[in-house]
Amino acid sequence: MKEFSFGESTAKILTTTGFSSLEGGDITMIFIACIMLYLAIWKKFEPLLLLPIGFGCLLANIPMSMMANTDAGGLLNFFYQGIKHEVLPPLIFLGVGALTDFGPLLANPTTLLLGAAAQVGVYMTLIGAVFLGFNMQEASAIGIIGGADGPTSIFIASKLAPHLLAPIAVAAYSYMSLVPLIQPPIMKFLTTEKERKIKMEQLKPISQTVKIIFPVIVTIVCCLMLPGVTPLLGMLMLGNLFRESGVTGRLHETAETHLINIVTILLALAVGSSMTADSFLRLETLKIIILGLLAFSFATVGGVLFGKLMCKMTGGRVNPLIGSAGVSAVPMAARVSQKVGAEADSSNFLLMHAMGPNVAGVIGSAVAAGVFISLFGDVAILEPHASIADIVGSVEPGAKAAIAQVVGALHP
Amino acid sequence: MEASIFAAVQVSILSIAVIFTVLTILIFTIKLLVKLIPYQAPPAKPARRKPPSSNNDQDDHVAVITATLSMHMGKSPDEFRIVNISQS
Repeated sequence: MKEFSFGESTAKILTTTGFSSLEGGDITMIFIACIMLYLAIWKKFEPLLLLPIGFGCLLANIPMSMMANTDAGGLLNFFYQGIKHEVLPPLIFLGVGALTDFGPLLANPTTLLLGAAAQVGVYMTLIGAVFLGFNMQEASAIGIIGGADGPTSIFIASKLAPHLLAPIAVAAYSYMSLVPLIQPPIMKFLTTEKERKIKMEQLKPISQTVKIIFPVIVTIVCCLMLPGVTPLLGMLMLGNLFRESGVTGRLHETAETHLINIVTILLALAVGSSMTADSFLRLETLKIIILGLLAFSFATVGGVLFGKLMCKMTGGRVNPLIGSAGVSAVPMAARVSQKVGAEADSSNFLLMHAMGPNVAGVIGSAVAAGVFISLFGDVAILEPHASIADIVGSVEPGAKAAIAQVVGALHP
Repeated sequence: MEASIFAAVQVSILSIAVIFTVLTILIFTIKLLVKLIPYQAPPAKPARRKPPSSNNDQDDHVAVITATLSMHMGKSPDEFRIVNISQS
């Protein structure tokens, strides 16, 4: 063994500390991570997501910690594989499906159109992003922020523009937490006092059989039309079937509690780990943050204007305020509709009516994502995650020959 | 991929048309389902008649209310009297 030298050892320790490699970018990102932690803990901005994202960002920017999403073999690199291979966002959707009651939507199915109208925000942002110099795939990934659906945004970003994942995810979740601040001024500006006071008829009850058949029908109709969105919509509907079928109590309970919580931790940490100085401190990030705000604003405008149209067409039986809930962001957007309606008339209860367009927004944004995947994704040329070549490459030479023989027999 | 504003507008129009088409199909499917399988209220359970409360029960209630009120008002139970308890 080499003789111990106090000086050399001290120098070695000093050169292996993170401080020795700390750069300006890392310090800025650590500062941003601290701001996110502050917003999550003290300002209660989407704490369940911003806190792990912020902490993931903090870990990723500590030099030599091997915690960035690109550090092969690092802990968060393993978590990031769940995003890269599109595993985690669909699992979140499974939990969301288990938590969602589609009853208000089934009782008033025309509110599905409000969920569609609110997708206007997605396309206005897409046009804006192209105007700012993004290509069509990047613009689609940025535009989907207007769907106000975190897992969908992450899913599309990882598929179409993985290099923009971090700013897109942060913008989506940040603005979702700001829905109570962004929406009310727009809603009040676009509606009259009289419209805000409109009371809607009580929703009719729905047969349990319809509630059970609904997720199956949606899966068949939507996934056949837009196969690219099957991982998201399929899991959403499976979770809902767990809930409504009444025969999978344990699975339902797991999906809506433990599973969604565990996956949220993995997903948020993985997103945070992608927030390195190289990927985040760019002009594109600033553009995405601005476009994200536009996306939410236009989505609200689209929903409320379509709500006004429905109000006119039904002879004043629809309160246009429920249109803003079409932006997804369940259930916060529906609560905002209720709050603004109650400000105009304290005896006006819009919450259940707004839940219809709110859950329609989830389906609408998933369909919008499906359209983007059909147009710009690689649905037709999907590759399996592990090919036979990968498996053969990892076994003993003798076994390799045997496998090659079997494969040869199967594919002469 | 080359991107122009015109192409973005075309994509937007096409996508919105697809979304409205898919969701309109869903609306009609739901309406058909609701028509075919209407809601049926579960049969009402026969109401159980509550036995009339005995004088003993009422005395207990008066004692509890008296004790609570005397504590709340800081008065002795002798200083006030409960004359009527009505059930809504």
